[in-house]
Amino acid sequence: MEASRGTDEESLSRKALAGDRGAWDALVARHHRRVVVSLLARGVRVDRAHELAQETWARLIQQQQRGLLTELRLPNLALTQAAFLAADDARRVRRESISGAVEELPERQHPVDPSVSAERRLLSEEQLSRAHAALAQVSPSARSVFLLACDGQELPHAEVAAKVGLSVQRVRQILCEVRKKLRTALEEETHA
Amino acid sequence: MLKPHLTRDSAEQYILGALAPEKAAALEAHTLECEPCAVLLQEEALLSEQLTEAASTFPQEERVIRPAAWHARRAVTGAAIAALAAAASLALVLLTGDKAPHPSLPDSLDSRPPMVAVDLDDGDSPTKTNVVACPDLATQDFCTRKAAERGLLVMNPGGTAEVPRYEAHTGLPEGALSARQPVSL
Ligand SMILES: [Zn+2]
Repeated sequence: MEASRGTDEESLSRKALAGDRGAWDALVARHHRRVVVSLLARGVRVDRAHELAQETWARLIQQQQRGLLTELRLPNLALTQAAFLAADDARRVRRESISGAVEELPERQHPVDPSVSAERRLLSEEQLSRAHAALAQVSPSARSVFLLACDGQELPHAEVAAKVGLSVQRVRQILCEVRKKLRTALEEETHA
Repeated sequence: MLKPHLTRDSAEQYILGALAPEKAAALEAHTLECEPCAVLLQEEALLSEQLTEAASTFPQEERVIRPAAWHARRAVTGAAIAALAAAASLALVLLTGDKAPHPSLPDSLDSRPPMVAVDLDDGDSPTKTNVVACPDLATQDFCTRKAAERGLLVMNPGGTAEVPRYEAHTGLPEGALSARQPVSL
């Protein structure tokens, strides 16, 4: 099943690289939410996050049409493109705040460091091992649901549900439970 | 401000894509007017990204094949290094035979910190790209970690090599190849 999904993604990517609009649409549908979430995580306003996510896909398709895309690895390419657009945005905001009041902006509106790529590490080594330890504590079935849904491949919850033989509702319930445990694990670290 | 404030649950449901479109739209509209709720949404989005990182690096046996219990002394001969590299290449072959082991983290070896493929020049085994150098002290930890995740050997400025800290299902005899300690080259 994993393999078929990988193949599916690969064949979609190949078609998209060849300019197949339907393949692009399928890839956008699959990865758009993650792009928006990644922008929200950077403190981009939700309306702007949607605009930047749209712009991200437009740029990628444009690059493909110009023959500038030789490889299409999603979601990372889209996340990187979105991060650049967000950084551009932030630079423009900084220029526009003539009074140099950047420091006074709320934290979430601070300009994004342009050198930060989509692959920035969000967790310290210690946080990561705490998260892994917490994940190792949950039941194997909950863990596999979580890993299927959250490993970055954007498997829709309906597909996760089909794979593990649970309802979509139950899958989401499990995701929320695991998420709470991991949140606690990560918060413990910051208070330690 | 007509809409209700976000709760952690509603923010979470939104991030998971579990809200009906009209509810999602109402939530979004609210965050544009209410800074605390915008911050809450950002926190949930950030947690989501962090969890993706945790999930994609979770040492799941189906996803990461670990060459078992590596133990070695500092004085390791070139032949042993080549053997380690060969083991790493075996791990890589097994990994790539499945699917990308860390799908959300591709390219990091190529694009981030200075990291150089090292030519081992050992002829018949396909190990040349299985050893990388992490020459920049500033990014060495990151570089090493990324390499370890990929089952690559790492050469540091100090001339040490680090091997993947994986336990394994490679079919290799237990303890046949090992190096928990850094070994000199
Ligand atoms: Zn509010």
